[in-house]
Amino acid sequence: MKSIFKLSKIALVIAAALLVTVLAACGSGNGLGNSANNNDSGGAAGETKQAGSGVKDPVTISFLHWRGEDQAVLDVIIDKFEQEHAGIHVETQVFPSDQYQSTVQAKLIDGSVGDVFTSFPGAQFEAIAKAGLFADLSGESFVSAYEPALIEAGQKDGKQLALPYQLVYNIPIYNVALFEQHGIEVPKDWDGFLAAAEKLKAAGLTPIAFAGADIGPGQFMNPMVMNNAPDEQIFAKLQAGEAKLTDEWWVKTLTQFKELNDNGYFQKDALGTKADAANALFIQEKAAILASGSYQLAGNKASNPNLRQKLLAPITVPADQAVFEGIHTTTFMLAVNSKSKHPEEAKLFIEFLSRKDIAAEYANGTGQNVTVKDVDYTSEELKVVSEWTTKKTRFQPRFTITNTEVQEAVLSSIQAVLGGTEPQKAAEEAQAIVDQQIGK
Amino acid sequence: MKKWMKLMPFWAPGLLLYALFFIYPTLTGFYYSFTDWDGLSPSYRYIGFDNYAAVSQDIVFHKSLVNNLKFMAAILLSQTVISLLLALRLTRQSKAIVALRALYFLPTVLSSVSVGFIWTFIYDPTLGSLNALLERVGLSTWAQNWLGDSAIAIFSVAAVQAWAHIGQMVILFVAGLQSIPKELLESARLDGAGRFSLFFRITWPLLAPAAAIVVSYTTIQSFKAFDLVFTMTGGGPAYSTEILSTYIYGSAFLSYTFGKAATASVFFLALISIITFLQFRLLRTDRISY
Amino acid sequence: MLLNWLSRLLLAAFAALILAPLAIVVITAFKTRPEFYADPLSLPASWTFHNFAALFDGQPMWAYFRNSVVVTVFSVAAELLIAGCVAYAIMRSGKRMAGALFALFAAGLMVPSHVNMIPLYSLLQKLGWSNSLTALVLVTVSVLLPLSVFMLSGFMKTLPRELLEAGEIDGAGHWTTLVRIVFPLCAPFLAATAAFLFVIVWNDLLFPMLLINGKDKLTLPLALLRFRGEYITDYPLLLTGVVVTAAPMVVLFVFLQRYFISGALAGSLKG
Repeated sequence: MKSIFKLSKIALVIAAALLVTVLAACGSGNGLGNSANNNDSGGAAGETKQAGSGVKDPVTISFLHWRGEDQAVLDVIIDKFEQEHAGIHVETQVFPSDQYQSTVQAKLIDGSVGDVFTSFPGAQFEAIAKAGLFADLSGESFVSAYEPALIEAGQKDGKQLALPYQLVYNIPIYNVALFEQHGIEVPKDWDGFLAAAEKLKAAGLTPIAFAGADIGPGQFMNPMVMNNAPDEQIFAKLQAGEAKLTDEWWVKTLTQFKELNDNGYFQKDALGTKADAANALFIQEKAAILASGSYQLAGNKASNPNLRQKLLAPITVPADQAVFEGIHTTTFMLAVNSKSKHPEEAKLFIEFLSRKDIAAEYANGTGQNVTVKDVDYTSEELKVVSEWTTKKTRFQPRFTITNTEVQEAVLSSIQAVLGGTEPQKAAEEAQAIVDQQIGK
Repeated sequence: MKKWMKLMPFWAPGLLLYALFFIYPTLTGFYYSFTDWDGLSPSYRYIGFDNYAAVSQDIVFHKSLVNNLKFMAAILLSQTVISLLLALRLTRQSKAIVALRALYFLPTVLSSVSVGFIWTFIYDPTLGSLNALLERVGLSTWAQNWLGDSAIAIFSVAAVQAWAHIGQMVILFVAGLQSIPKELLESARLDGAGRFSLFFRITWPLLAPAAAIVVSYTTIQSFKAFDLVFTMTGGGPAYSTEILSTYIYGSAFLSYTFGKAATASVFFLALISIITFLQFRLLRTDRISY
Repeated sequence: MLLNWLSRLLLAAFAALILAPLAIVVITAFKTRPEFYADPLSLPASWTFHNFAALFDGQPMWAYFRNSVVVTVFSVAAELLIAGCVAYAIMRSGKRMAGALFALFAAGLMVPSHVNMIPLYSLLQKLGWSNSLTALVLVTVSVLLPLSVFMLSGFMKTLPRELLEAGEIDGAGHWTTLVRIVFPLCAPFLAATAAFLFVIVWNDLLFPMLLINGKDKLTLPLALLRFRGEYITDYPLLLTGVVVTAAPMVVLFVFLQRYFISGALAGSLKG
């Protein structure tokens, strides 16, 4: 047998030689490629430029987002927009949130798509901001249509780079009827929370449906940690090396997770349960609490119209030490690509979405609350959520972790504890990863 | 050299396409392993071997490496053995056998994302059918938290990978088996060779090229398995199903450290090369490895 | 005797293992969402096609279907031709050249696609080829070259040398040898490779996702993604989509399987 190494050396030389050729070809081949493109788009339906006589060329703007479930509602809104602005066509592209991250990155860079796009707060927002892909929206008139306190997640260095459109409370949902039936009041402290869970368990119910395999830890950690570490900068400090996961605030949080798990307050094998299965338990009224967030209210209702749902947050400390009542997140942040060839049209589209009546149409159609001011909510669920606007809530701590690997380590420590690792040890293991991340 | 020139029309078009749309982007990608590019910004810095130092010490990278080797071993063993056993029984051309081969192949035509969905349900501890089934037949002690127990999650995913690909491997083995001249087997049988000696003396050596393809394809697939892990566990719980490809994906697109992702890919490539090389050595298939 | 029964048992058990999960998928495609949540294993109350209707109602499924067919057929055909030629060149070249070519292509098998994804995207942008099915076909063909060259040259190695050399003595050129001798002899191998590639291209998500933007150019898997929401997934509908996407492949496979077998018989390697 011939040595593979010798052969791969030959291959490497060939590859290098080819690379040179190709690079040369790329430089000179540009014209060819472009003309091919012209032919190509000449046949394409969407981007055809009709050689209109004197009429302004129609413009197609691309709208990238990740909420497939909103598509029907958005399609109607886009139709209205196109009627109002003849000559602007909006082409939507939807990717589920997990794939959104990977493709949006490649696609935004050159500005060919995503004239209007959406961003998550936190790590993704920071990365896109650093790359300079957000057009500054600061001076735009439509910014004033939003609740000022709810659009801070889209600000950086005093500029409004993106406008959070959705308002979500990342705290558990509970089944009001089941609570009433078993004479349970919304608990005000940790002992009360445990007692309520015990009562539900004794009644043969699953106290808390918890999607440990996917969204569960990321959602439930927020209310669990909010009062254990009332400092809103806690994760910023963690990333700066000024706080540690092995400190009391996080070990205590992990211990409380362990307490819920060991007492059997989550459904069996919670760590293997995905969101859909956890939701199903709650929808079928087999579980009294669903550890997800307000975004899930409408979906639950659609599957079981008899449900009466409200939100509650576990208070992990004695009632008099509780600083926060809940968690909010402003997400689905609308932005204009700074590389866009049609920034004015893109802004017109955001302006349209920012109108009170359009935002109401979006909210009531999708069952999501919005950050736009004075919106009339018609559904019972949205009204339940809007009660929370007056409560003392804090921005989702998980999204204040701007380093994704740190976030992953934090979430993994929860999973490790649910899998049987001691809280102290799980915290140490996670801190080791954090140290490595912030050490660079 | 004349031979080389004469053959040019045959390899040149393929090589050109390959160079343009594969080698060039790949080398560009690897180039980023020496930079701190985040995958988004217009600018980046050249940082030499910093990424290599960082990745080789990275705790999560180590975990994903170990998981990946476990994953590979599990798949390689189960997939090759089962598909060979099945293929040995499926070389004839009766209607039933043709139908069986088609049936086994069926999962292969599904996208791995769909396969991931299907099995997520089956494994689901509350809604799933696997545990329910085990209970019904009185094997409730076998019921597991298939994807939620960090000790077995990676093997649960490996089983799905094998489920989806065994049919494909059966087809390859059957093709190999059918290409073995019947006269050879016939004459050996007349010489009084038993079932097992027939297999080890005649069938197996002649099956080597097919086996080599199966083994190396399986290995490479086990490293490239991304969709399945991504849809089923997303690397969790607590990193227990994080494999190299999900690690690379995570650092490129979730953590915005494209340089680190490219570095991990270089390690990835080196590892697969070594394993493939060893495999060819082991299987002694000189005829195919050049 | 015992061995015979054991192997029959193995065949039957594996058949059951394959069928059971798929049966669940098909059953689910007929269920409503509340039915599915109530009991994922129960049979639907009525076998109606409401999910299928919803699927075809909401969007131009036929256009997606056509896009998928176009991309798959053209990619696989071009792949077989181009990779077949490369494999032939590898087979007929001197040791050194053959080794280098083979190593170069086989090395590509090991590259994780997440590395070349971003550079590939920007290369196509530079060439002005974004959102074009032609570009998708070209990229698909290129990306699959390592796999198909690897497979085909493995297969071609098993061809009897004497046959090729006999052709050469008769004065046949390379093209004649390829078309008259190698391709016919390789028919079963080409079919096997085509079956492999069909599946891969038909189900591919990564490259269509990366290269296709326009609604009118979506392929089926890409269109299916739209049924997955951020938090809510309509699984019966999604699984209906899976069934619809997979059905043509299943039918085609039954067909290919036959072709594959008759080809294997015809292309006997007795020489």
